[in-house]
Amino acid sequence: MGDGFDVIVVGAGHAGVEAARAAARMGCSVGLCTLSEATVAHMPCNPAIGGTAKGHLVREIDALGGLMGEAIDATGIQFKLLNRSRGPAVRSPRAQADKARYRAWVTDALRREERIAWILGRVGGLTVVGGAVTGVELEAGSGAAGGERVRARAVVVTTGTFLNGLVHVGERRTPAGRAGEPPSRDLAESLKGLGLPWGRLKTGTPPRLDRRSIDFSRFEEAPGDEAPVAFSFMTGGIDRPQIVCHQVHTTNRVHDIVRANIDRSPLYNGQIEGIGPRYCPSLEDKVMRFPHHERHHIFLEPEGLDVNEIYVNGYSMSLPADVQETLVHALPGLERAVMMRPGYAVEYDFVQPTALSRTYEAREVEGLFLAGQVNGTSGYEEAAGQGLIAGINAARTSTGEEPFVLGRDEAYLGVLADDLTTRGCLEPYRMFTSRAEYRLLLRIDNADLRLTERGRQVGLVDDRRWERFRQRRSRFERNLERVAATTVTLPDGARARAAQALRRQDTALDELARSGLRLDVAPDEEQVDIWSVETHFKYAGYLERQKATIERARRMEGRRIPPEFSYEGLPGLSLEMAERLGEVRPETLGQALRIPGVTPAAVALIGARVSAR
Amino acid sequence: MFATDDTIVAIATPPGPGGIGVVRVSGAAAVGIATAILSGPSSLEPRRATLTDALDPIDRRPIDRVLATYFPRPRSYTGEDIVEISGHGSPVILRRIVEAATAAGARLAQPGEFTLRAFLRGRIDLVQAEAIHDLVTSVTPLQARVAFDQLEGTATAAIGAIEDVLFDLVARLEASLDFPEEGYHFIDAEAAGLEVANLVDRVQSLIASSRQGRLIREGCQVAVVGKPNVGKSSLFNVLCGVQRAIVADASGTTRDLVTETIHLEGIPVTLVDTAGIRATSDAVEAEGVRRARGALVVASAVLVVLDRSRPLDEDDWDLLRETAGRPRLVIANKQDLRAAWSAAGQFEAGVGGAVIETCLIDGSAAKPLRGALLRVLEGDGPRREAPAISNVRHIGLLCSAEAALRQASRTAAAGGVEELLLADLEEARRALEEITGKRAPDAVLERIFERFCIGK
Repeated sequence: MGDGFDVIVVGAGHAGVEAARAAARMGCSVGLCTLSEATVAHMPCNPAIGGTAKGHLVREIDALGGLMGEAIDATGIQFKLLNRSRGPAVRSPRAQADKARYRAWVTDALRREERIAWILGRVGGLTVVGGAVTGVELEAGSGAAGGERVRARAVVVTTGTFLNGLVHVGERRTPAGRAGEPPSRDLAESLKGLGLPWGRLKTGTPPRLDRRSIDFSRFEEAPGDEAPVAFSFMTGGIDRPQIVCHQVHTTNRVHDIVRANIDRSPLYNGQIEGIGPRYCPSLEDKVMRFPHHERHHIFLEPEGLDVNEIYVNGYSMSLPADVQETLVHALPGLERAVMMRPGYAVEYDFVQPTALSRTYEAREVEGLFLAGQVNGTSGYEEAAGQGLIAGINAARTSTGEEPFVLGRDEAYLGVLADDLTTRGCLEPYRMFTSRAEYRLLLRIDNADLRLTERGRQVGLVDDRRWERFRQRRSRFERNLERVAATTVTLPDGARARAAQALRRQDTALDELARSGLRLDVAPDEEQVDIWSVETHFKYAGYLERQKATIERARRMEGRRIPPEFSYEGLPGLSLEMAERLGEVRPETLGQALRIPGVTPAAVALIGARVSAR
Repeated sequence: MFATDDTIVAIATPPGPGGIGVVRVSGAAAVGIATAILSGPSSLEPRRATLTDALDPIDRRPIDRVLATYFPRPRSYTGEDIVEISGHGSPVILRRIVEAATAAGARLAQPGEFTLRAFLRGRIDLVQAEAIHDLVTSVTPLQARVAFDQLEGTATAAIGAIEDVLFDLVARLEASLDFPEEGYHFIDAEAAGLEVANLVDRVQSLIASSRQGRLIREGCQVAVVGKPNVGKSSLFNVLCGVQRAIVADASGTTRDLVTETIHLEGIPVTLVDTAGIRATSDAVEAEGVRRARGALVVASAVLVVLDRSRPLDEDDWDLLRETAGRPRLVIANKQDLRAAWSAAGQFEAGVGGAVIETCLIDGSAAKPLRGALLRVLEGDGPRREAPAISNVRHIGLLCSAEAALRQASRTAAAGGVEELLLADLEEARRALEEITGKRAPDAVLERIFERFCIGK
């Protein structure tokens, strides 16, 4: 490894692979540390990518030149656009993944990157000199490259649930990052030793069943879309045959079994300290917290085309294996199902992301970046998004360039970074569309119009993508002109400007296209092309209003607070507020205003102080 | 900006002479400072008034016989230790007690600083903080009552209740977008439309009640207008109950604005007597006419005085046209003389309202006139029991909320999708939150997770 690397990425999950590939594409030499090549871009939980708001994240990752969109388009086995009947801002793609093919596709893509060197081994600690990271230390005997120090200008830590991971199945507790994989203890201690604040969270996964032991004819089918919307702007159409999933419901008997065994659940007998996500409740929580619910939805999802594992979505639990088996058999239609492995809960340490700046660099340790579940998030998409931004910024610090930060008004990726670093995590953080106050502007159809130019500027968008984007953008602009210049005949016989007609809720652009309005759409991008143009006109008033709000907010966002600004003893600030501000160290007055418990009056006070300096 | 951790003192009752005046000391050292300036006892019992003397710090002679009451933290007005010293209302005496306290280590409070501390320590919310200011500066008992209602949180409670309904609607709509596959039926478009319409009504009636509230807090100006020598100044004097304006038979006696504040059932009303409005070549009179027109423009209501004993001319009709559509009272004066025209019937229909026929020679017309003026000022309808919103800022915010809700209602009616409806509703929420205080950014998700079993 000679002189070391520009960037070392620790971990090759969804955050790690985006970080490594982004840095490599931007010209950096990258060392990618993983325990095993068999778990690159692994999906230890549900076999799916996307969903509300998560699909938005994937579109944005793709628009910037990241991996995830193309990977799932190439390996997905069922595609569905959620909220199709609702507004364009909340439509979001989701796909069932073939886990093994997804892993293989991503591993392949990384292998094609010449600047990525694979380091098989366990990182035991970071080397830090004078407040700046200088590289990593590999644990002796942990793998092919044991016992050595590897130098790097920047290190991106993406260790997921591995920091002091503890897996619970009933009374049985096993130190593990994921079931069957050893945890990282030394690295956890090394990070804490650097003064990074940390906490403990919990997440869980359901049992897996053997496909061959299930009679699927007894269940309701849950099919995908006939004309899938792709995640990637590079994909065009997807015409692969798709699988169906199946829907089951819990019964009173299931609920009775849970209640009878609740004291054997680590979640309910005090064995688990970490805080789990409320939006992804375990079966125990569903039954105990919502006793009046007669039934809950459960989905049977294959983990791949030619594997036998079936993922029981909605049935995550940490009860003992024998109880889990009973609970599986209690589901109507699964009386004879064979459980291949039980579900489990995993507790793990995470770094409180308020210690990071919006580039995901630790404020107190130059060159150290953290991304993914280690920052308290959940979800492959949230991890990938952080990995991409951290990777871009790791590459830029190693060459001394300005940070790359997206605003809340530019992308869900901006909302993600701002929420995490401003408010921290009290439970695993998942993206929702309701977190984005400028939701109407942050749509899946315009992710490229918002971000691809930014991706090109940082050097992540290759020529092929850039060319395709330029065509798409000129189609968009041409279509805007045509709509603005064309008069159409409405169903009631009246003539009107197409732009005016579109403002009516019941007028659709594709109808106008059928009645004489000529549009320029790419055959394989037709839906997206139409949505972008239609929304531009239909939402004009609302978009103007959101833009005006953004303009006002920008004044606050533009007012920077110097990093060394001291909140201690600032007259008028309560102790709690001063403490909170000292922890988060907001970069701007706008960010300060979003910190829970910090009042507008306090921000005005800080503003007065900042300008007085 | 000032410190918030030292002990402050100020006269807590409004400036000007009064029966009793209160000096308030607040902060960690309040008890020590109070006992230092009082003749005894050496300690004060919580929440009990103690009769004692306030002493001059230099010669230790009594300044005044006072009642001292100790309110221990945190259940005091500011959330800090407070001692209130009630003395006799002379401003001189109260100032000397304050000086004694500052000599003993207290700092003279800035205006509003007690309220600021109460707000900073979470004792009161923003609406209440503003209401306290209103209470302190109120000049009539009814004004004090309305301010007191807000202090008690009545207005906050009413706005808060509306905000909560709106918030819950937003949460269900958001849930339908973020969790489309949970098998839940969170809300449908029709129900959402109905709930929005209901919210519009509730905000609207709060705004309607605010009209009365604003009158009470700010008082209002009422301009008395009319041609020269129709009896404007007589009307003015009858309403005031004193001979304030000079009354003469010669026309054009009043050349400048004469004002007097009267109380109509607790509402302070500033009456403005004006020069007779007519075309004139006299420079001084012309200036008077100009000012009269100015008063007419800013007034919240107008009293148009006509002379019933002479036929109406173009000047009269101009005034009637000019003031049409504004809150006004038309008075046909000189009932004691032979009528040149009739105010009843066709004429009333023409001016669109009742015309009061009066004779202003003696004060007997005062009572019916005051009653009629009050009805004009308050608008029609009985006094509402709804809490009056007496703060202009709050009325403005309620109006923004109403506009946003109306837009939401139109969006819902036009079949607009949830995300557009939510954009409107968020605007309404922002306005209401400026009054009730901001919810945490995660509040919507909190509500959803609390109510619904979400997630797979």
